[in-house]
Amino acid sequence: MASVAITPMESNFLVPNATYFVELAAFVLLLFLLAKYVIPPINRAMTARQDAIRAEFAELDEAKSEASKAEEEFKSQIADARHEAARIREEAREQGAQIIAEMREQAQAEAARIVEHAHVQIDADRKAAMAQLRGEVGTLATTLAGRIVGESLDDDVRQSRVVDRFLSELEGAS
Amino acid sequence: MTGLLPLESEIKIGEHDQVTWHGMTFNMDTIYSTIVAGALVLILGFWVRHQMKKTTEDHVPTKLQILWEAVVGEVNKQVSDNLGKVHPFVAPLAIALFFFILIANWLELIPTELNHDTHLLPAPTADTNLTYALATVTMVSVWAYGIRSKGTRGYFKHFTEPFPVLLPLNILEELIKPITLALRLFGNIFAGGIMLALIGMIPIYAFWAPNILWKAFDMVIGAIQAFIFALLTVLYFAMAGAGHEEHELHEEFQEEERRKKAEAEAAHADEAAPVPAH
Repeated sequence: MASVAITPMESNFLVPNATYFVELAAFVLLLFLLAKYVIPPINRAMTARQDAIRAEFAELDEAKSEASKAEEEFKSQIADARHEAARIREEAREQGAQIIAEMREQAQAEAARIVEHAHVQIDADRKAAMAQLRGEVGTLATTLAGRIVGESLDDDVRQSRVVDRFLSELEGAS
Repeated sequence: MTGLLPLESEIKIGEHDQVTWHGMTFNMDTIYSTIVAGALVLILGFWVRHQMKKTTEDHVPTKLQILWEAVVGEVNKQVSDNLGKVHPFVAPLAIALFFFILIANWLELIPTELNHDTHLLPAPTADTNLTYALATVTMVSVWAYGIRSKGTRGYFKHFTEPFPVLLPLNILEELIKPITLALRLFGNIFAGGIMLALIGMIPIYAFWAPNILWKAFDMVIGAIQAFIFALLTVLYFAMAGAGHEEHELHEEFQEEERRKKAEAEAAHADEAAPVPAH
């Protein structure tokens, strides 16, 4: 099978022989197969990946800006809430002060009223006591004097006469 | 002791396992190893194609895909830098050249030399038939590209530029390009094979060290040669497609140089002027 062709031309390895055409065909076939079936999907995969990365970055940027926007909103809401709270606290303080003042006024009025009432009561009591005393003092004094004198002063006529005399003496002494 | 002496008769240069059919001679060993190298490239290619069919949503590439993407991405970058865009023919051509030459070169490293006469997988790039074929594909494509991008008249007019007297040199350059492409690759890989054969003559107890060293070095040479072939292909396309701007740029550059030189001379003259007064 391996018959060595002996011709002067083929002794020079720089001179091509028919192998050249086989090699040419083989490489053209290889080139065709690679260019048609292998390289396009590789290029597609590369661009697809680049696109995916680019899209991901865009998405990331979007999410970042959205997040910062949300944070901004959140912060402004917090500030609003703080203001609102301060306002409510101030209002409550004012209301409290007002209520205290009102209560104080009311209590003072009540106290004044109670004091007034007590004064009137005391006055009336004193008057009643005076009247009662005036009624009883005669009897007591007569009884006491009768005991001391040893004479009955129970006789009404005499009694009233003695009392009247005593009283008029009192009045006359004063 | 005979093993230590490299006998001249043991190294055969440019000898192939040949078959003659209808008066045509075929180097069967080159053809077999070409088929093996091409099959390996195609297996890697269709394997990655198969892997990419079931790509997940997160676009994580497989290891093989990363390998291919590194080469394809680099070639695409070179092509778009030199040609202005990722040309739909030039980029696949350079990729195919790179992968095929790389695998073909590295076949040499697989120890398939059964005995002195039978080398199952010699690097097919160590045969000028393959390198001539690759250079033919490249240069025919380059010429076609040049004619298509500049028009027939524009392309051939380019041979008389910058001066008509350079016409023979320009034609010679265009003919030398494929020959250098082919013979550079052939020479490097062929020499690597000869080195391996020489190292193989060192006795078995000593030959492993230079063998490992040389094979490691040869791997680098194989990769560099594949890279050079693909890169030069892209550059030849760029040269064929480039219009007058290249010359204009060159002239501008020369103008700039001349201006700078004149300025420098003027400055020098100013400095030199007071000297004769002394």
